[in-house]
Amino acid sequence: MADLKAQIIEQLNLQEVKPEDIGNDQPLFKEGLGLDSIDALELIVLLQQHYGIRIANPEQGPEIFQSVRTMATYITAQQKQPG
Amino acid sequence: MNIYIQGMGCVSPQQTAAEGPFLAEIREYEGNRLKVLDPDYKQWIPDANTMRRMGRVVKMGIGAAKLSLQHAGIEMPDAIITGTAYGCLADTGVFLTRMIQGQESALSPTPFIQSTHNTVSGQIALLLGCHAYNSTFVHKGFSFESALLDSIMMLREKPAQQILIGGVDEITDHSHTILSRFGLYKQEPVRNTTLLQSGTKGTIAGEGAAFFVLGTAKGAVKLTGLDTLYKPASQQEVSSAIQGFLATHRLSTADIDLLITGRNGNAGEDDAYTQLTQTLFPQTATAAFKHLCGEYPTASAFAMWMGAQIIQQQQAPAGVLYSGTAPQQLNRILIYNQYQGTHHALILLEKA
Repeated sequence: MADLKAQIIEQLNLQEVKPEDIGNDQPLFKEGLGLDSIDALELIVLLQQHYGIRIANPEQGPEIFQSVRTMATYITAQQKQPG
Repeated sequence: MNIYIQGMGCVSPQQTAAEGPFLAEIREYEGNRLKVLDPDYKQWIPDANTMRRMGRVVKMGIGAAKLSLQHAGIEMPDAIITGTAYGCLADTGVFLTRMIQGQESALSPTPFIQSTHNTVSGQIALLLGCHAYNSTFVHKGFSFESALLDSIMMLREKPAQQILIGGVDEITDHSHTILSRFGLYKQEPVRNTTLLQSGTKGTIAGEGAAFFVLGTAKGAVKLTGLDTLYKPASQQEVSSAIQGFLATHRLSTADIDLLITGRNGNAGEDDAYTQLTQTLFPQTATAAFKHLCGEYPTASAFAMWMGAQIIQQQQAPAGVLYSGTAPQQLNRILIYNQYQGTHHALILLEKA
């Protein structure tokens, strides 16, 4: 999850934020890390660029991007899927 | 109808964005690239989410724009006009690089949104909540001059306005490498403080933002004239254009107290400035500015900021003087700049 946090920081240009500043279960949006809708698009791009994962169903977004842990869980699950 | 500079702000490789004496100390650089001294942009861009999405050139533009508004004592201009040749080059580079890396499958939205040339002008408007006329001119070495011309024409049409107008450009690692390949910059070790005496080919890369608030209510400095000359056939044509420009304003070369030229240390280009000053302005003190800000297509905005400061403060700092002695009274300054031998511009400033 440390790598994922570093990737999020780089993709979103989160100045003055270090990977250890982001809690595994801290909400990414609104009152948590304070991300917004443009950041959501950046996170979708991050999944495609770094992990080759395309989110087929946009309605899954809020669930996947709830926290770093939910993102990591989703990535792991996708990587385990055959083909 | 007279047009006045009511406020000005500059972010550059010199300490121009901070309070303090005007160019009292010239910052020294080694190498063929001058980078902007970034002020604390948080003072003008309080929202962290907005700030982290902005490229350097956008922040530079906002900094210079806010400084000029503060100087003019206004919060809301009646128009925002920007000149930029390269636009948001860093974001364009990021966007294109990621597009190539992702094999055109995943487009990063932020650098894409920020990569248009109008981003600086647009972000200034968003920050101010300004819904007025907003335009950006992209004409290589005439980008700033085109923005200036637009603002002059707008003020002539409707004098009761205050227009925020500026020039901004950045240099990135990519663009510096590419422009170096074209032979624009010096290959040997160079120091900006001795650039103008180098006598070799090439110059140093630069960047910066200078903004002004122009209006018809009296300010300390009058913007008397502007003219451009594209690809003159000969040095004689340039001389004639300068004499004609001054004659339009009922002046002769002897009426100019200080000539600011775009001398940039490139032996070939500087010879033309030397020839011109020796024939047209033999008795006039001359100043230079590209050893302070470097060479870039909108560097004339820095020159206009410097010229206006000299008139307002009635002193030409030692670090800007190239030849002669500046007179006690600095009432009239002519800026003559050329970019790569093709884009020649004249700006005339007077004490109000």
